[in-house]
Order: sequence, then C-alpha cells, then structure tokens
Amino acid sequence: MKNIFPKLSMNKKLALIAFVLGLTAIFAGNPYRGSSVTMDVKELALIIDKQADHISSEELAGWIIQEKSDFKLLDLRAEKEFNEYHIPSAELVPLAELNEYPLLRNEKLVLYSEGGIHSAQAWMLLRAKGYKSVYMLMGGLDEWTDKILFPKLAQNATPEQTAAFEKMKEVSKFFGGSPQAGGVVEEVSAKKSIPKLEMPSGTSAPTAGKKKKKEGC
Amino acid sequence: MNAPFFKYGLFGDDVSLVVAFVIGIGFGFFLERGGFGNGRKLAAQFYFNDLTVFKVMFTAIITAMVGIYYLSVIGWMDLSLVYLNPTYIVPQTVGGLLLGFGFVIGGYCPGTSCVSAVTGKIDGMVYLLGIVVGIFIFGEIFPLISTFYTSTPMGQITLSQLFNIPYGILVFAVVMMAIGGFAAAEWAEKKLGNKIVEP
Repeated sequence: MKNIFPKLSMNKKLALIAFVLGLTAIFAGNPYRGSSVTMDVKELALIIDKQADHISSEELAGWIIQEKSDFKLLDLRAEKEFNEYHIPSAELVPLAELNEYPLLRNEKLVLYSEGGIHSAQAWMLLRAKGYKSVYMLMGGLDEWTDKILFPKLAQNATPEQTAAFEKMKEVSKFFGGSPQAGGVVEEVSAKKSIPKLEMPSGTSAPTAGKKKKKEGC
Repeated sequence: MNAPFFKYGLFGDDVSLVVAFVIGIGFGFFLERGGFGNGRKLAAQFYFNDLTVFKVMFTAIITAMVGIYYLSVIGWMDLSLVYLNPTYIVPQTVGGLLLGFGFVIGGYCPGTSCVSAVTGKIDGMVYLLGIVVGIFIFGEIFPLISTFYTSTPMGQITLSQLFNIPYGILVFAVVMMAIGGFAAAEWAEKKLGNKIVEP
C-alpha cells in the first residue's frame, strides 16, 4: 500500500480517498441527531437561579404594543384552547410538536401555557436542544388574564398603586380587556368575558404566522 | 461552534448577506477558472467530447456529501437545521427537463450564464436576458400553473428516507456511483468524443 499510493495519479488518489471515506460511512452511523440531547445542568441551573429565564406579562404586553418583531411567541396549549383565546401574534405549537416545529437557534422565543408548568418544561427541552434565547411568560396565561386583561384596583389602594393602575388600564383596553377598580367592573360588560380573537385594535397581529423563510437555491 | 453558523446565531441577517456575497464571488471565480464561462465547453459534454462539467459537479456533490456526513456524525454540525427543498416529483421532473433542454440549446445553466456574461461574452448576456424574461413570464402565468406547481408533493424527503436505507450505505452508494461515473466519463471521452462538432 505504502509503495503503490504515491505512484497513483492524482485522480486515482482522490478516488481512493473517496472510496475509503464512503466505505467507512457504512459503519459510522446516522448523521441526524434525532431527539436525544445533552445538557449542561450547571449552566441551566445558574440561569434559572438568576431568573434570566422568564419575562413578565407587563414586559410582553409592552413588546406587543410597540410592535416589536424580534421575538416569536409560542402558545403551547391545545388547538381548541388556542382558538378560543391567545395572546396576539402567538403561534400555536402543541408541546408534542415542539421537536419538529421550525425554529431558528438565533431567534428569541417566548413560551407560554395555561399556568407555568408546560412552558417551564418546554423551556428546559429547548435549552437542552441548544436554543440560546428562550424565555417563558411568568405565570402563563393565567397571570396574563389577571394582570393585563382584568387588572384590579383594591379599594384601599395607595396613590402609587392607583397611578400604576391608570397606566395598566390603557394597556388592558389595548388588548380588549376590562380593568376593574374597587371591585367594580368599569366597562359595560360586568362578566369577565375573554376578549374575542380579532380584538387587538391597532396591532396587525397575524395569528399563527406561517411566514417560513424561503431558502435554498 | 456548531454549524450551520447562521442558524446557531454566529451572525445575523446583515452579515449573512456579506457571507453570501463572498461565497458567490468565490463560486463564480472558480467556475470561470474551470472554463465554465464558455458555452462550447459546457455544451461539449452532451456530445461526449469533454465531460469536465459532469466530473466537476459530481466531485462537488460527493465532497459536500462526505463533508456534511462526517461533520454531522462527529457532532460539529446539526444536519436537521439544514434546509431541504420539498419534493414535488412531477413538476420538478418537467422543470428539470426544461432546464436540460435550455442547457443543451443555450450552452449554459443559470449560474454559468452569469459567469459568462460578466466575462463579456455576448451569448452569456443574451442567455441572462432570457432568464430574466423567463422569470417574468413565469411570475405572470403562475396563477394558471400553481395547481400543477404544487402537485405530487412528497415533503422534505431524502433518498435515505424514501428507500428506507441507512445514511451511511447511501453515502457509500453515491461515492461508488461517482467513481463509476468518472471511469465511464473518461472512457466515453476517448471512445465517443472524437467526433468534432466545434466549428
């Protein structure tokens, strides 16, 4: 072998190398990683400890009102619940489909579910898969409903609380909610009715935006 | 750092355009240096006079395939993040035949026509103009042919999934096809390629 190889022409050398690499490939295994991952437990624990893994519903509301487009909002609940109500601009990604859903590693992802458990679990899965900027919505949709859609003002509120509530009222109305001061519902609808889907006046919130980037040649 | 770099966030949209520009210029440069800016040389492969194009393209395919395969196996690259064009078998066969006819008649494929045009060849410029007109016509009649365009969808499928054989064996099979193809090409050039068609 040692004596023959240098004597071959360049083409034959390249062909021989290709042949050897091809032959090795038969035994080298599957190039796809599949759904198994490795994770750095210490790094994740540190992030959780620093609370750098979530955003509050106020922050998210602010982003949507400012029409920020540098993040993707993912709704992890079932399709039926999604169709009843979802935060404007959210995309439906049931937890079981998370592994196949087309997401980029460099996108900012905000996850939410009903409470916080499913989004926390999905957060862990995505972080383990190497997604760097994943956040969960603090308290999930429950907290969104309480703080954004139906903010309350206690009767014995301090002036600071009242001022904050006044600000929140505008935000709430933007999302079609109804603020409640002193236990009394301000708006006409006395019942807590979840706003209709087409409610966010002002935002162009295309639901479940299917704008996949076209790639390839 | 893991590949693909863009999807792992090594650089953003802006820098990706610069990267694409550099790669594109490099691609064009090496096409030109390989003689691919010349319509005669390109068309010669269809008369078996000169199968350089076939050999270069097949070399590129197996180099990329072996490289991607081994980078993924050792974990330096996440193959699931590499975009796959979805397959629509009938419309893509028709499209492939159209491109092939155009290649034989015009002497260029889209990439090489750009190379030829920028090196000052008139046939390349005409070919490029033809591409632009073709794109325009395609865009205008697209509503009429969109049903056909999206017919027989097979999704983002690979040969390995289609035939249900392991990727490694497929890599080996394609390498063997290439080596066989190179040998056959050399033989054909000697045996069949001496009919002079060039003016």
